[in-house]
Amino acid sequence: MTATSTTDLPDKLTTPVYPTKRDEAWRYAPHRELARLSFGPINVLAGDLPNKIDGQIPVLEGPRIVVVNGVVDHTRSDLSALPSGLQLSAFADARRDQPKLFAAHADRSISSVNDAFAEHNRAFAQDGAIVHVAGGHDIHEPIHIVDVTLANNNTTNAACSHLIIRVDDGASATVVETRIGAGGFGGSNTQTTISLGDEATLDHIVLQDVPSTQVHLSRVDVTQGAQSSFRGHLFNLGGSYARAAYDVHLAGQGANADLSGLYFGTGEQTLDQQVTIVHGAPDCTSRQTFRGILDHSSTGVFNGGIDVRPGADGTDAEQTNNNLLLSDQAEANTQPRLEILADDVTCKHGATVGQLDDDAIYYLRTRGIPHAEARKLLVHGFAHHLVDGINNQILQDWISERLGDLNG
Amino acid sequence: MLHVNNLNVSISDTVILNGLNLDVGPGEVHAIMGPNGSGKSTFAHALAGRDGYQIAGTATLDGVDLLDLEPEARAAAGLFIGFQYPVEIPGVNNMYFLRTALNSVRRARGDTEIGARDFLAVAQEAMDLVEMKPGFLNRAVNAGFSGGEKKRNEILQMAVMEPRLAVLDETDSGLDIDALRIVASGVNALRGPERSMIVITHYQRLLEYIRPDFVHVLVDGRIVESGDHTLALHLEDNGYADFVNHDLDDAPTRPLSGATR
Repeated sequence: MTATSTTDLPDKLTTPVYPTKRDEAWRYAPHRELARLSFGPINVLAGDLPNKIDGQIPVLEGPRIVVVNGVVDHTRSDLSALPSGLQLSAFADARRDQPKLFAAHADRSISSVNDAFAEHNRAFAQDGAIVHVAGGHDIHEPIHIVDVTLANNNTTNAACSHLIIRVDDGASATVVETRIGAGGFGGSNTQTTISLGDEATLDHIVLQDVPSTQVHLSRVDVTQGAQSSFRGHLFNLGGSYARAAYDVHLAGQGANADLSGLYFGTGEQTLDQQVTIVHGAPDCTSRQTFRGILDHSSTGVFNGGIDVRPGADGTDAEQTNNNLLLSDQAEANTQPRLEILADDVTCKHGATVGQLDDDAIYYLRTRGIPHAEARKLLVHGFAHHLVDGINNQILQDWISERLGDLNG
Repeated sequence: MLHVNNLNVSISDTVILNGLNLDVGPGEVHAIMGPNGSGKSTFAHALAGRDGYQIAGTATLDGVDLLDLEPEARAAAGLFIGFQYPVEIPGVNNMYFLRTALNSVRRARGDTEIGARDFLAVAQEAMDLVEMKPGFLNRAVNAGFSGGEKKRNEILQMAVMEPRLAVLDETDSGLDIDALRIVASGVNALRGPERSMIVITHYQRLLEYIRPDFVHVLVDGRIVESGDHTLALHLEDNGYADFVNHDLDDAPTRPLSGATR
C-alpha cells in the first residue's frame, strides 16, 4: 500500500495539543525544530536505499521486516522459514489474514499518552509490523525490525511507523529494533506497543542511530501479565534530538520489568529518556538502569518515574542514572519521579554526574597506554555493563563499534 | 641504567624534592626509606610523569631523559611504577587491560603485537608468580579487590610488562604477612642482571624479604645517607632522628611500629 486512505484521517486526528517547554516531559525538546516536522501520509519512495544504509544494519540470524518511511519494504524483509509459534507480518497482510488478531492489538485507545506526536502516530502510522508469539513457544532467533527514514521527500519530512508485539502466556522471544536513516532534515515517529501474557518473557532491544540531521521520537508502551518478564535495552545514539519514551504497566501480580539504557551524545545532540514504570499489581519488581556519556555540547536527559498504585503492595523498584561528562559544555539532567500509594514498598533511586577519573587515566598511561586510548578504555568501561547485558555477540560488536566511532 | 641528577620537584610552589641525586646500575636493587612527607612517593611519580609537578634536573634511563616524555612513553622506555594505591577501573577487564598495556609498549618500541591466545600464556605465567586464581583476570581492574589483591595485581603487571626499571612505591603497605611473602617472592623472581629496582618503603620488614644492594635515607627531599642493607636495621632501631636536623611533625623518634624482627 502506498498511503492511508484520506477518509480515515479526520476522525483519527483530533485536535492535537503540541507540548511546550512548560511540559516537564518535553522541557528539553527543540520545539522550533519539532514544529518544522511535517508528518503526513507518506509518499512511498521508489528506488533503492543508499548502499550506506544496508551497511548500517546489524546482520542477525532470523526473520526481519524492514520499514522504509513508514511502509514495509518486502524486498528487504525476510519472512521465510518462520519458526513454529511465530507469526510475523506487515500490517497489510495481518489485516487480511488475521483480522481479529490485528484488530485486538492495533487498538491503541488504551494508551494514556495523548500528546500531539502520539496522535500523529495514531493517525499516520498505517503500516508496520506485527509480531505474535503463540503460547508456550520459545523463539530463539532474534526477530529484527528495521525502521529506515529517508528524509529527501519534499512533501513530508517525517515518517510514522508502528510495531505491535504480543507474546502469549508462557512464551518467550527477542525483538531487536534498529532505527536508522539518511538524508537531510526530517524525523521519525515510532510507536511500539507490547503486551505480555502471564509468564511470558520478552527481550526488547532498541538500536537508535538515525543521522544527526534528523529528529527521532520513540514511544514504547508495555503491558505485562502476571509473572511476566520484560527486559528492555535501549541504545540511544543518533539524531539531533532523540527521544525514547517508555511506559511500562505492570498489570499482573509478580511481573518484572528490567529496563536499561545507554545514551552517548556528541556534537549538539540532545538525547532524552522519559521513563515511567507503573506498579499496578502486588509483588512486582522493576529496575531502571540508565547511563549517559555526554561529549562536546550534547545534552542528556533522564526523567524516570516509578508509580506505585494503591494495592501494589510488595513492590520492589529501583532506579539508577549515572552520567559521564566528557566536556565542560556537555550537560546531564536527571530527575526521578516517585509516587507511592501502597504499603510494604521498597523503592530506591540514585543519580550521579561525573567526569573521567584523572587518576585512572594517569594509571593507564603509566602502563604505556596512550592518553586517547586510555580515555576510550574508560568510556567503554563505563558503558560496558549495559553492552554486556545483551545476550547476542553480533549486537554487542555492532554497539561496541559504534561506541568506538563516537568515542573517536 | 638510571641516573638522577639534582632533581627538584615542587607541587603548588611547595618544594618537595630538593636536589635529589641517585645512580642505579643494571641488576641493582635500591631501597629508599624515609619518614612521612620526605618525598618518597613524589620521587616515584616525578619519574612516572604525574601532572601538576614543577620539575628541574634530569633523570635518564639508558640515556633517555624520562622527564621530557609523556607517561606512556616512559613506560615504553622501560619504566614501571608499582602504585601505593592502585586505581580501581570499573568495567575494564583485567586481562584486556594487561594485553592493551603490553601491546601499547610493544607498538611504541616497534615490536609486533601479541594476539589474545599467545597472551594467555604470558598472563598465566605471571599469575602463577603471584599465586592468583584464573578468575582474577576476568574481573575489572582492581575494582573491589582487597588491599593484598591490588598489590599482587601490580606485581602481575610488572611481570607482564618486563620493565628495565621498576619503582615499587610502598608495595608492602596494607599487606598481611602472607600477602607480603607472595608479593616479595614475586619481586625476587623478577630480579635479574638486566632489571633494576627501586623499592620505596617505610619499614624494614619488606627488606627482610627483598634484600637490597643499597639503602638510601630520604629526608626533606634529598638523600642524606646511603649504605648497604645494614642501614635499614639501624633505622629500625633508631628511627630517622639521626638524620633529621629539625623538628618534623611526624618524624618518628622511636623504632617504627609494625616492624618485625
